[in-house]
Amino acid sequence: MNIYFKELKSNRKSIIIWSICVFLMVASGMAKFDAYSKSGQNMTELLKDMPKSLRAVFGFNELDLSKVSGYFGVLFIYLLLMATIHATMLGATVIAKEERDKTYEFLFTKPVSRSIIVTAKLLAAITNIIIFNLVTMASSMMLLAKYSHGEAVNDEIARLMAAMFILQLLFMVIGSALAAVKKKSKKAASLATGILVFTYFLSVAIDLNDRLTGLKYFTPFKYFEAKNVMYGGGFAAVYVVISVVLIAALTTVTYVFYKNRDLNV
Amino acid sequence: MDVIEIKNLTKTYGKARGISNISFNVEEGEIFGFIGPNGAGKSTTIRILLSLIYPDSGSAAIFGKDCIQFAPEIKKNIGYLPSEVFYYDNMKVKELLNYSASFYKKDCSKRMKELTDIMDLDLNKKIDDLSLGNKKKVGIVQGLLHEPKLIILDEPTSGLDPLMQQNFFELLKEENKKGATILFSSHILSEVQRLCNRVAIIKEGKIVTVEKISNLTENTYKKFKVETKAPLDATYFQISGVHNLEVKGNVTSFIFKGNINEVMKKIAGVEIMNLWIEEPDLEEIFMHYYEKEA
Amino acid sequence: MNIFLHELKAYRKSTMIWTFSLVIMMVLFMSLYSSIHADAEAFLKVLKNYPEAIRNALGFNEKNFLTVVGFYSFLLSFVTLCASLQAMYLGTSIVSKEVREKTADFLLTKPVTRSQILTAKLMGAVVSLVITNMIYFAAASFMAFQFKTDDFSMKIFFLLSLTVFFVQLIFLALGMIISVIFQTIKSVLTVSLAVVFAFYFVGMFFDTSGEKVKRYFSPFKYFDTAYIIKHSSYESSFLIAGAAITILAIAASYFIYAKRDIHAV
Repeated sequence: MNIYFKELKSNRKSIIIWSICVFLMVASGMAKFDAYSKSGQNMTELLKDMPKSLRAVFGFNELDLSKVSGYFGVLFIYLLLMATIHATMLGATVIAKEERDKTYEFLFTKPVSRSIIVTAKLLAAITNIIIFNLVTMASSMMLLAKYSHGEAVNDEIARLMAAMFILQLLFMVIGSALAAVKKKSKKAASLATGILVFTYFLSVAIDLNDRLTGLKYFTPFKYFEAKNVMYGGGFAAVYVVISVVLIAALTTVTYVFYKNRDLNV
Repeated sequence: MDVIEIKNLTKTYGKARGISNISFNVEEGEIFGFIGPNGAGKSTTIRILLSLIYPDSGSAAIFGKDCIQFAPEIKKNIGYLPSEVFYYDNMKVKELLNYSASFYKKDCSKRMKELTDIMDLDLNKKIDDLSLGNKKKVGIVQGLLHEPKLIILDEPTSGLDPLMQQNFFELLKEENKKGATILFSSHILSEVQRLCNRVAIIKEGKIVTVEKISNLTENTYKKFKVETKAPLDATYFQISGVHNLEVKGNVTSFIFKGNINEVMKKIAGVEIMNLWIEEPDLEEIFMHYYEKEA
Repeated sequence: MNIFLHELKAYRKSTMIWTFSLVIMMVLFMSLYSSIHADAEAFLKVLKNYPEAIRNALGFNEKNFLTVVGFYSFLLSFVTLCASLQAMYLGTSIVSKEVREKTADFLLTKPVTRSQILTAKLMGAVVSLVITNMIYFAAASFMAFQFKTDDFSMKIFFLLSLTVFFVQLIFLALGMIISVIFQTIKSVLTVSLAVVFAFYFVGMFFDTSGEKVKRYFSPFKYFDTAYIIKHSSYESSFLIAGAAITILAIAASYFIYAKRDIHAV
């Protein structure tokens, strides 16, 4: 599809830069790991004794930092933030940029239905997300192998990447749905980013304060936490269902609102 | 079946008036003008035809099919040139034209080459680097390269130099001879007079009239100002068809509608120092038109 | 000056949102201080049983959690991150906003010099930041008094809060010069996010090595909270470095902008 390929081409530079950043992120994160791993056994006990609130503040939770997988679980939250910011921006701008740059008069008067345009653009965004995901996975597997001391981590990494993919999709459609609904689609990007930042802080707050635990359904960052995905039961069904429903609903919103909105200068 | 059939189209923007109960038809093979002052509703009507915006009530059909329901199908045969062209900055001209051509399931390369030659376009320049007029030229080629059966133009000549305007009009006439129908919106009366067979006049969201150009020109008047050596007697120019006669010092001014030879005879009959003859602007025509109705 | 007032008005809503967000974030953290304080005291006893190496690896600074000022400085890193985003966004918009919204032709043909325009816009941005900081500081002081477990020096508290403003100034200048060089920035948000996060990660990365030189690479590391608490002042070398960068970037912006061709619509 011509629209799809053109969209991919426009995003080429951006995805390359993001990929490099991800790689550097994993690399710098793992460089820190050495310090943790050397302390070995003591570390684990230390963390067990650490009060919950302090652990939350540091982002440690219930992960074993002396193991490479545990450490990666901590690093994961930062990768996840990067991935979701990337996905949110993509979702909010991929279609809305036609209005921002005023090129919609060109594209939307071509003999293609609006739904096809939306499909092509969303597919291009998903392709970018997949590339981001694969680069993260490859970098992680490669770099963790250096430090793993024989521990088999690729399985855990793959599962975390799957979790990341679900969240990426979710934030992408939050972005695109906002862009579809808002009259001034230019503002969609900042609003979507704001929602992302808010849900992140909410997840931190939930960690810090037991009373907020009920709110965990409101922040995607609590759906697939590293400790659960890697060691716990994997993907909790309730969260998978919520994610799928949200993604489906927001995608529908994107299509419906783009089909019916007036496109004005 | 007329190429465009518009029935009672209405669109309001919140409290601001858009268009109200617009109806007219465009027949196959004609060059149809759509004129009106700024803000009258020309662009709104056209954008509804192209399903960029949706009407509050009423309908429009192109090639016999509803313009919104069958939009993708209809657009295969429509070429659109907007008043302000915006394209993807980082593209080169030929990349944009090829991208545009890729939407129509036919080979447009031959026609594209012909058009770029006529419009004198440099295919390898980045669109970003082009002047406004040159971007307009890209728009023209982009709108015509798939040999559409209906060409919709929204104030097309703004930004083009006179030579290019000539070329453009020749192009349009050629397309029309090949069978294309043209809908042409403008507020420059002279353009419309040159090209169009029929014209619809829109004002404040409503169609004032739809008529043949010949009728319109017959109904227009000219403004005269004659400077003479000595002040003229007011009765000198008082012939039939003259209105608003004023004498200020050596300058006599009036407006005239009718056989221009009569006025010329009168002017030839006095020794004049200077002479001004002006075309009325659209607002004046409309005012005059309303007077005629009353 | 009319341009200055226009800019202030234009930034009004966004300044309010940023100020509000920063204050909320700070309030959330500070309100948790009392519970963390209790936990920290308990944990510290446990920590004494562990070897020094581990305590260092953890980066656990007892001071951080036992004093109001200490905890506040821990929270500052997050506040600074967000505040820097605000400053970067303002700085990057200074010139590119006119190009993006196609008002460059309007403003630059008025009887004002380009330098006057830059000054007015810069002042508008600085004043917006000052307002944000003042409201934030007032709120932070209030919170500190509410939740304090010990007496603290207002001077130190003020110095700490001021670091946020200084880092903001650095990013404002950076944003400004980027905006002047790359006039057509389509997505100011992306650029701002990228630059700020890049410096943040660089700061995190170089933290592990501990060499002083590397601290110069990231504005986030210019103000070491431990040092400020201990000495009640800033490290002069970093203060000078920060000031130098800010002044140079701004000066360069003026120079470049005066000579540049203004990109047409």
